[in-house]
Amino acid sequence: MRRVFYLVQKEFRQIRREKAYIAIIFLMPFVQLVILGYAITTDVRNVGVVVVDQDHSRYSRAILASLETGETFQLLGTVPTERAARRLLDRGKAVVAVIVPHGFGQNLLRGEQPALQLLLDGVDGNSSGVALGYLQGLLAGLQLEWVREVPELARQIQSIHLIVPEPRLWYNENLVSVNHIVPGILAVLLTMITLFLTAMNIVREREIGTMEQLQVTPIRGWELILGKVLPFVLLGFLLLNVGILAVQLIFAIPMQGSLLLLYLMSLLFMLSTLGLGILISTLAHTQQQAMFIAWFFSIFTILLSGFFIPIENMPDVIQYLTYSNPLRYFMTVIRAIYQKGSELPVLLDEVAGMALIAGITISTAVIRLRKRNV
Amino acid sequence: MNRVLISILRKEFMHIWRDPQTLLIILVWPVVMLLLFSYAITMEMRGIPTALCDLSETPASRHLVECITSSGFFELVAEDVTPSAYEELFQRQAARCLIVIPADYSGDFINYQLTPVQLLIDAADPNAAKFIQNYLGSILWRVSSNQSNGTLLTFSLSPRFLYNPDLESTYFFVPGLIAVILLLISALLTSIAIVREKEMGTLEQVLVSPARGYQIIIGKVVPYIILGFIDGVIVLAVGVYWFDVPLRGELWQVLLAMLLYISTGLSFGLLISTVARSQQTAMMLALMATILPTIMLSGFIFPVESMPLLFQWVSKIVPATHFLDIIRGIMLKGVGLGLLWQQTLYLVLLTLFLLIVSIYKFKTVTE
Amino acid sequence: MSDPVPVTTLPPAVVVDRLTRNFGTFTAVDQVSFNVSPGEIFGFLGANGAGKTTTIRMLCGLLLPTSGNATVHGNDIYTQPNRIKACIGYMSQRFSLYEDLTVRENIQFYGGIYGLRRETIMQKTTELLQELDLVDKADQLTGALPLGWKQRLALSTSLLHDPPLLFLDEPTSGVDPQSRRRFWLLIHRLAAEGKTIFVTTHYMDEAEYCHRISIMAQGRLVELDTPSALRDKYDCDTMQEVFLRTVSGSPSL
Repeated sequence: MRRVFYLVQKEFRQIRREKAYIAIIFLMPFVQLVILGYAITTDVRNVGVVVVDQDHSRYSRAILASLETGETFQLLGTVPTERAARRLLDRGKAVVAVIVPHGFGQNLLRGEQPALQLLLDGVDGNSSGVALGYLQGLLAGLQLEWVREVPELARQIQSIHLIVPEPRLWYNENLVSVNHIVPGILAVLLTMITLFLTAMNIVREREIGTMEQLQVTPIRGWELILGKVLPFVLLGFLLLNVGILAVQLIFAIPMQGSLLLLYLMSLLFMLSTLGLGILISTLAHTQQQAMFIAWFFSIFTILLSGFFIPIENMPDVIQYLTYSNPLRYFMTVIRAIYQKGSELPVLLDEVAGMALIAGITISTAVIRLRKRNV
Repeated sequence: MNRVLISILRKEFMHIWRDPQTLLIILVWPVVMLLLFSYAITMEMRGIPTALCDLSETPASRHLVECITSSGFFELVAEDVTPSAYEELFQRQAARCLIVIPADYSGDFINYQLTPVQLLIDAADPNAAKFIQNYLGSILWRVSSNQSNGTLLTFSLSPRFLYNPDLESTYFFVPGLIAVILLLISALLTSIAIVREKEMGTLEQVLVSPARGYQIIIGKVVPYIILGFIDGVIVLAVGVYWFDVPLRGELWQVLLAMLLYISTGLSFGLLISTVARSQQTAMMLALMATILPTIMLSGFIFPVESMPLLFQWVSKIVPATHFLDIIRGIMLKGVGLGLLWQQTLYLVLLTLFLLIVSIYKFKTVTE
Repeated sequence: MSDPVPVTTLPPAVVVDRLTRNFGTFTAVDQVSFNVSPGEIFGFLGANGAGKTTTIRMLCGLLLPTSGNATVHGNDIYTQPNRIKACIGYMSQRFSLYEDLTVRENIQFYGGIYGLRRETIMQKTTELLQELDLVDKADQLTGALPLGWKQRLALSTSLLHDPPLLFLDEPTSGVDPQSRRRFWLLIHRLAAEGKTIFVTTHYMDEAEYCHRISIMAQGRLVELDTPSALRDKYDCDTMQEVFLRTVSGSPSL
């Protein structure tokens, strides 16, 4: 055990001399949280909308006015023709065009149910789908208002039945996307630091020859691994706490669950990513290769973690692939603890997943380090 | 072309050719990324795990359940649960929502105008929650308009999605991935090109020769432009032939835009290369400066208009933002570069600026 | 110049019997056999790529042999690598110091890794710093030291646990002649204290400092004797000439 102490002491002395580490630990969480927290928003806002008003009635003006309220739409103005509207869509200036046809108001009063034409830029299918949803909601309000003005419809009201959803939203009533994204960023940060730094650190020791020097000492494989894992676990904890503080300071998102549970889960998670990092380092021969591999792994782990794309949306094959991704489990855990205040019993699947990955990667790493042919 | 330049070019091609491992990474890796992530990135939800609590158990309620499940959006994972079981379901992540049909569902139908169907949603993921609300809302709307003999509609909506009528998410993400991959590859390639020679000491050897700064820089860039361009063509072909993304505009314009965009990426990498002292710093800088902004701030996934104003400005600096406008415009909307002249001009100016700065930096570093 | 081979009745420090190592189809070390006596300075000569480093790595337990046997201080290299590691010191051509640690911290670290007690480490550190003339540089970063100093520091750290056997893999590469001389004086003092030294080099003049020399070429041991015996055998004045003769005489050339 004394040997492990000296390994850890050495690692910390090196870390203290490396100014980049200090920046990474104390600045990166703030920078990443600010950029990602605000940039990654699945809310749809400021959708550019243009109106082709061929009707010029009270009703078309009401539609125009309703588009000016709220944050979802940004009314760019009216254009005379559909052609002009399409040009704005072509150039990407507008995303939605609302075309109020000639005689719209008159037909409406006659109960003829005139059609309001909507042109949507379908390139970003997700956003335009959401925009259409908002638009339908907005216009449904107008429809209900106008129903009483149309004599024919006013008579029918009695015979109409509507089934309406009565939504209750749990854990995030106001659907604030920051609440969901920010804990995820913490998880991503922790992955980057543990995966990247461990891999680079070990490959560097191999390049300068000190790894070989350590291997001719009576030190044992597990002591060497422990001596590498401990400092980075401590570093990871430091980063996690700076991150938690930053979340509190910048976004004021409260943690619903237990901090202790989060600590224990982070420990397990870091063991699995550190194991992966050590494994990467045994695969790579140069720092450059380690960078390439670690880089590929980090994109892979982030995109396939459910960070911003729910895993159940993915095809089956890719869903199976995500089981090998430790971040997938921790992403669920940190969000559950932050948002739902979940307790250990409901997170046992995730514990099992992370433990399995940690066990496999670390034991493989110990075996590979002990093996005498690399 | 002069002889000095030709010999520098020849040397660079030799470097690339003699390192098949790296060459393989450059050519295969983008295709793997494109295939993997095009399938992985889909915002549309299908088979949402749903729990059901049918307190009514009448033919009408069964019909409603039938309508909900046959849509494909909802998949029943638990039936006959009690309304209070939601907490446990959501905690165990067993279901994302619980639909509660009230006991007097069909009775209500006759007596009242509005029949509520309770929908409890795990809104921890707000985006998913919005989808669930919308999906169920439109299903219920359809069911009720079928059952009513009249209609409340004062006017109807006829929405038409231009460019992508079926809202295929690959149409959106494949051009986006092309933009991300090309920039990452090209910036990374050149970012280590000069540093590596610095570290190996061969740069000094070149510098004592009569070769001039611009010749060395051009000699470094041209081979990688060609490599990056081959990458671009491969990725584009996979997008068009494998994922059936339409190419409505002119092919030559897409290729020209790619060539320009690759040059921007390479010039950026070059700048890093002249500043960084070690390969490791160069790689780190290249990664930090490309991955995050290109994926998060360019409109690749998250629409730029939805960001706070400050970040909208920042996104205008990122070259990928402009290239995304161009490639999506040409491929999906079939517009020409003429209409996209602002974005094109920005990329041209940025490339020139980066090139000039790196040649200048290169001179001051070496002198 | 060299001392006579120490006469001893102790069992040999290193016994190597038909040791072989292949890398794919390439045979780096081919059926090499020799013994090293305790207290001997055993020189291992050869051009780059002759198989010297591969042999030393196998003896230190860093690499498994393809076939053949060897024992180091009576410990089998296949089954008892950890016991071997406790009784050897190893210094490679890369000096393997942490350049971002200070001199003192490097000494402390390696002392700790060999499991020395805290007081022993403190005492050894003071001793070593004085011996190496590094007292005023103790808290400087190791990376800032001249190569010759790094070399002696690396040697000293590999001696911290007082091993009876020392493996030196090209310990003088890249170091100036004066530092090399100082280094060899140190080696001789260690041998006089009873330590066995196993050293590889490609500087032929250094071969003269060894008690016995083995010459390797294409993975095989082509000569093994005292420097003077080898000079007589080939009728040469310097080891340089001996080396050239042996290498050109080897059958595969």
